[in-house]
Amino acid sequence: MTTEFKVLEQNHPRVDAYEKVTGRATYASDVYLPGMLACKLLPSARNHARIVSIDTTQAAALPGVRAVITGADFPDVRFGSGALRDRYVMPREVVNFVGEPIAAVAADDEATAEEAVELIKVEYEDIPSVVNPLAAMVDGAASVHPDLEDYEGYGFTMGHNVSTLLDADRGDVEQAFRDADVVVEDVYRSQGINQGFLEPMACVADVEPGGRLVIYASTQGPYPVRASLAAVLEMPVSRVRIVPMELGGGFGAKLRLAFEAFPALLAMRTGRPVKLVNTREEVFTMNGPRLPVTNYIRSGVMKDGTITAREAYTIFDVGAYLGAGPNSGIGHGIGAYRIPNFRLRSYGVYTNKIYVGSYRASGVADMTFAVESHMDHIAHEIGVDPYELRLQNALREGDVSVSGAVVPGNGLIETLEAVKERIDWPRELEDGHGIGLALCEWRSGSGPSTAAISVNDDGTVSLLTGSVDISGSDTSLAAIAAEALGIPMEKVIVAKRDTDLAPYTGQSGGSRIVYSQGTAVQRAAEDTVQKLMALAAERLGVPEDALGCEDGRVYVMDNEPQGLTFAQLAAASVTSRGGPIIGTASLSSMPYTPVFAAQAAEVKVDRDTGQVKVLRYIQAQDVGVAINPMAVEGQLDGGVVQGIGRALTEDQQFDPDTGAVRNPSFASYLMPLAIDLPEIEDVLIRVPAEDGPFGARAVAEPPGFGPPAAIANAVYDAVGVRVKQLPLSGERVLAALNGEYDDIPFDVAALRRAEGIG
Amino acid sequence: MARFDYLEPHSLDEALQMLADRGDQARLVAGSTDFLVRWRTGVWRPESVVCMQHVPGLDYIRWNPDDGLAIGAMATVQDIEQNADVRRHYPALAAGATAFAGVQVRNLATVAGNVCNASPAGDTLPALLACNAQCLIVSSTGQRWLPLDELFVGPGQTALNPGEILSELRLPTPAPNTGGLYVKHSPRGAMDISAVGAASVVSLSDDGSCSSVRIALGAVAPTPIRAYGAEGRLVGQQPTAANLAEAARLSAQSCNPIADVRSGADYRREIARVLTERTLRHAVATAGNAPDFADIRRLAVQTAW
Repeated sequence: MTTEFKVLEQNHPRVDAYEKVTGRATYASDVYLPGMLACKLLPSARNHARIVSIDTTQAAALPGVRAVITGADFPDVRFGSGALRDRYVMPREVVNFVGEPIAAVAADDEATAEEAVELIKVEYEDIPSVVNPLAAMVDGAASVHPDLEDYEGYGFTMGHNVSTLLDADRGDVEQAFRDADVVVEDVYRSQGINQGFLEPMACVADVEPGGRLVIYASTQGPYPVRASLAAVLEMPVSRVRIVPMELGGGFGAKLRLAFEAFPALLAMRTGRPVKLVNTREEVFTMNGPRLPVTNYIRSGVMKDGTITAREAYTIFDVGAYLGAGPNSGIGHGIGAYRIPNFRLRSYGVYTNKIYVGSYRASGVADMTFAVESHMDHIAHEIGVDPYELRLQNALREGDVSVSGAVVPGNGLIETLEAVKERIDWPRELEDGHGIGLALCEWRSGSGPSTAAISVNDDGTVSLLTGSVDISGSDTSLAAIAAEALGIPMEKVIVAKRDTDLAPYTGQSGGSRIVYSQGTAVQRAAEDTVQKLMALAAERLGVPEDALGCEDGRVYVMDNEPQGLTFAQLAAASVTSRGGPIIGTASLSSMPYTPVFAAQAAEVKVDRDTGQVKVLRYIQAQDVGVAINPMAVEGQLDGGVVQGIGRALTEDQQFDPDTGAVRNPSFASYLMPLAIDLPEIEDVLIRVPAEDGPFGARAVAEPPGFGPPAAIANAVYDAVGVRVKQLPLSGERVLAALNGEYDDIPFDVAALRRAEGIG
Repeated sequence: MARFDYLEPHSLDEALQMLADRGDQARLVAGSTDFLVRWRTGVWRPESVVCMQHVPGLDYIRWNPDDGLAIGAMATVQDIEQNADVRRHYPALAAGATAFAGVQVRNLATVAGNVCNASPAGDTLPALLACNAQCLIVSSTGQRWLPLDELFVGPGQTALNPGEILSELRLPTPAPNTGGLYVKHSPRGAMDISAVGAASVVSLSDDGSCSSVRIALGAVAPTPIRAYGAEGRLVGQQPTAANLAEAARLSAQSCNPIADVRSGADYRREIARVLTERTLRHAVATAGNAPDFADIRRLAVQTAW
């Protein structure tokens, strides 16, 4: 089936390869405007305190300082990442985490701005704080947001310090547990994680002579940034223009408004451009990472291996503000399985630490660690092979997913079988070695997607979309356009865009670019072809249905030499009734299209130190159709690398009293290096999706979900201990080997009682 | 980013004079790999910085059987790692050098700078201690020799007085039948700070007993330390598995570790035991053999043994 494509299913270098390789790609920090000032931020030193006073007089008096702003300089407007508006862009009276920016300086140069920041005097009055989310939920604990119920977008009283409570129920859970042969129960905990993107946040704010604000930013979501920025500055969105620059990695951390409001207000105050380039320490301490997740999970199982009931209570620490919701707690509580009865609860709980942010399918890796470790635990409890247990309970076409959507045809079973074959499961291994499996599930992302294609008079086309390039997505969109138009990749020009130029488009995130944006591009290309054919029919004097379109040319099917090239048609269009050729498409909602991946890790465990080394990693993912196989494998490998970091070494630690980030540096927050990684083997399964461009499914998110569970399961296979807490550090594994590993306490009864269960 | 006066001497005498003039307000830098990080984060705010990069003639590494190994103050960690005499006669030091950070940092950082920085976790330090290094300390008024284990007085603190420069490290030639190794324990295979480091250098007599044993540990106390109790337990004894295990147990007892983001205290103590035993076993097994650097590099950073 791959042979029918002319562009897809073939490797293409990135459309921006020259710029990237020669260092000419322009990032936000590369923007230099005449008279530009440098911005520096003052972080809060306390995690919960009233700001009694901020004295900026000395800072403002320092030669070279042009403006100093604090929360009082912004309109009294809260904003949020979703419906709930729980956050000031700069706190006015109360700080909620150590590191929260409370003042900003614009000066002639960075050193002066930094000096000025040190001259700002802040008087705090401490307020009781809470750092541990489980403790925060207990009545009587300090309140992070005492006035939460008055905030815009707050639903109803859901529990102490609870920002969000989501639920999903199906069937008769209590009866199913009573009828089960075996009940298996676990508590898992995953750690804080930094997204680890290469390019720190950066932006330049400029005020045009007419007063419009222009922001050059490193962002995945120019339109959401425009909306939030306009809101916190109380300006109409039409007065703000966001120019997304080259993106040096984001992984979800750059989906929303970050620090753009500070240089923006400083530019408005001084009338000069203002640049803010964040330090790595600021990235770690000011911009939302993932925070720890605690997951109680219980299953009812029949002796034959059928899982009949699932209960899961998941506590997402959201820190000071709800930067990203706890949706995955319910969306991924049953995994890729058909479980007829379930009760899933997901809590977002406030604490006085840095607010939670998004990262490569926020929370799903945490849920997959719990669900897939739990699957192996079930298998061992009832004496079933973990592979067989997964195969037996896996979702099949026609099953109903946790969201209620019917599962369409997919390659889940094929991914499992491919991994089994490649890793040679089951197999006898030497002492200290083990193999573990994990199954990952996700859906292809939806959301506002638009595209416009215009035909140039040399036969090339210009593709305009509002989406920011992320991980080579521009290249994939160009490939889709080329395939649909019947022209080579080189003939597609991908336009640089900003919020003035491009049609409204959702964020580049959530595995939605190729699937949704790609569909818009495909439809825009089809619209373009249709218009080219109509024009050709008019010029050739034949009916449209007598025409074919191939290799950049429209021709008469009965008489192939008679035809017009795209270049000729573009030239003709200028004087035609219809005018220049522009094909467009727009959509906001796409059908449910799941993505499944199976993964296997082979590890060895050092029994004396507890250290785990990954020897082999295999993943099989159903990609539908590989738009650009090289890019697909790049995404798959990158995800697994991030997942291995999550499994073994990455650990954002917080001070238990102040909630301050303890390791705000790549010297102490340990992302894996090439030397730490095994060869990663990718198997692409191709079961075309019913929707999506040419049958392609989303690719980006699932590869990062599996490694923590696959590696934890492999450790169990190797040395017979189950570590339920991430990362699987040498210290934890050794403690488990010595029988000193403690289960995580979790008062599920209190949560059940709170909603009148049991 | 605090401002400072930047000074660039072109001779050791000029450097000593600059230091003498400025007392404890000046900081001497060689590769600056520690300095830049601590200055940027505001931990170090010296009034002046005296940079040794343009002082010629201090980047030597010389070895002869009589005088042993002489390491000039400006010899880089990479110079040490690549040096054939070091690899041949001081395998523990070659291991410490190869376990140190990554190539880019090794190309800038000096061994003497690693010593003067006096981090308890410095990767060359346990190896230098186990190789019985002596320090040549010079000042505008003269010079003195000090054993390395008397140089470290606390985290980041040395016995150097204001105005003094560590100009050379000297390692005696080991006895003929000697082996050694340094092993670093860290979650990551490179570019990481040791959670624990251990070096052992063992010399065997003709009858196979241990004639000399030096065991040194990093990141388990306020300074790099020698495990004297463990050493004493082995000297004159046959290096049996039981004796090595017992020495490793005693070695762990000499630790006084802290708990931090990298590791808990008890785990550090346990790892010190494991690494001591592993380095001792390797030292005994390879005593008298020409060390294989590929082997050393494989063993030096332990992610999973």
